[in-house]
Amino acid sequence: MAAIEVEGLRKSYGGRAVVDGVDLAVEHGEIFGVLGRNGAGKTTTVECAVGLRRPDGGRVRVFGADPHRERDRVRQAVGVQLQQTHLHMSLTVIELVRMYRSFYADGLDPEGLVERLGLGEVRDTRYEKLSGGEGQRLSIALALVGRPRLAVLDELTTGLDSSARRGMWGLIEGMRDEGITVLLVTHFMEEAERLCDRIAVFDAGRVVALDTPAGLIGRAGGGAEVSFRAHAPLDRSLLTALPGVEEVSVRGGEVVVSGGGDLVKEVAAALMRHGVPATDFRTRTATLDDAFLALTGHQPEERDEQGSDEKGR
Amino acid sequence: MTGTALPAARRPGPAAWGQMLLAEARMVVRDTSGLIVPIGFPVLLLVMNGVSQDGDQVLPGGATVMNGIIMPLTVTMVAALVGVVNMPSFLCTYRKYGILRRLSVTPARPAMILAAQMAVSLAQVLLGVGLMAAIGALAFDVVAPPALGWALLAGVLLIAAMYGIGTLIAAVAPSVSAGLAIGLAAFFAMLALGGGLGPIANLPEALRAIGERLPYGAGNAALAAAWSGERPETLHLAVLALWGAVTGGLAARFFRWT
Repeated sequence: MAAIEVEGLRKSYGGRAVVDGVDLAVEHGEIFGVLGRNGAGKTTTVECAVGLRRPDGGRVRVFGADPHRERDRVRQAVGVQLQQTHLHMSLTVIELVRMYRSFYADGLDPEGLVERLGLGEVRDTRYEKLSGGEGQRLSIALALVGRPRLAVLDELTTGLDSSARRGMWGLIEGMRDEGITVLLVTHFMEEAERLCDRIAVFDAGRVVALDTPAGLIGRAGGGAEVSFRAHAPLDRSLLTALPGVEEVSVRGGEVVVSGGGDLVKEVAAALMRHGVPATDFRTRTATLDDAFLALTGHQPEERDEQGSDEKGR
Repeated sequence: MTGTALPAARRPGPAAWGQMLLAEARMVVRDTSGLIVPIGFPVLLLVMNGVSQDGDQVLPGGATVMNGIIMPLTVTMVAALVGVVNMPSFLCTYRKYGILRRLSVTPARPAMILAAQMAVSLAQVLLGVGLMAAIGALAFDVVAPPALGWALLAGVLLIAAMYGIGTLIAAVAPSVSAGLAIGLAAFFAMLALGGGLGPIANLPEALRAIGERLPYGAGNAALAAAWSGERPETLHLAVLALWGAVTGGLAARFFRWT
């Protein structure tokens, strides 16, 4: 039994299918990424999974339970951080953590949790006075205070600066180390590549690929690229014959070799073997950005846009 | 982590209810301006009326003007301000900022926050009325209603009617400012037709008939009767009960958590 099982999920708003036949399974103990552009159906899928929305079709199970019919059991085991929600404005950090702790049968010590998330200094600060990063750390605290088996984090780092974002990444990895399964919704490629064990790539309400980050990059044909400047005549066939090389192009004095496998090592060894002096050696390995472009046909979004069109009411 | 099944469901216990109540109380107390309206305003009105008018004059029913007119009017005002103006504004804010949505993914239910909000606003009503009664008793010869049982019944029905209207406004208002605007408009309309801006006898017959079929006028009249030692008219009690039941039912039907 997986932590989350989604089969044939469908949800429409005003006749438009926002989620159109999604299947996925989140295994225990992994960080599972849901990656896609705004409006790809990520948030709606996750909201159906946590029982916040009723699917129009398909089946959702969380630890084998229906999140609607067995609401009380599922809620005790799942910690959630949602987009575009706020907390009681004039309550302090510690008051909010204590209140949320009281909702759960089992849970963490509020004082210790506040310290661990670096909120000790703002312990008695009202929610309305917190910075963006502090607010997000508080929402993590509230997602964790009930000692969940599964944490669902929706665009946790959107709106944060890069150092605050990196701080969040450390916290999320810490969750996995404690055995918490994490479902992470994001549109940041770097975040997904760095954190996730597996990623479901969403586009137009469907899962277009589901694999490890390396698997996605490899599957999308995104190999590495090596370029250098050759200072002696170079026979192209020397390079095309190397294992893994797919393409060799010469632009002026610059030679670009692309392909898969251990490209850098092979090319460098070949140049040495044939006594070709080379300078300006550069390598570029394919990233999840390349894979995303190949899989969805869209450039990844890196702007911090909150306004997705998934907010059907 | 193993793949074993989830433990049995456990609903939030008394500690969670206590925390909810505490949270609502803190929200209300820290929103100082919201507290001045239901508690400060009626006391001010009572004092102004008590000082400027001849409150000792005895009405035909036997009660003084202070007990027979001013107290019922201001008690009704407290209930209306808390129920029709303050409560929708809190609920619309909670909805706008997704506070109810966030709670709905915890084992707590948003209905718990409604219950806590109602309990806290009831405390505001009791505090406002208690303060008025205390100041009135000390300075203006205010006495407890001779028909105390009827006064309590009228009070409960009055609060139910005002809460019903307030929750219905919160249910249908599209935004926080719309909720506040509708609440204030409803408050002043009921106030004007219910005797809040001058003796009801001065109003045209048709407006008076409308006014006493609104919770403000009906509540005011029922409390005035109780302060004169009489049983309130059935019409007025029925009006209050009907408003409470109908608006409460509609609110439950149309309320949106998100």
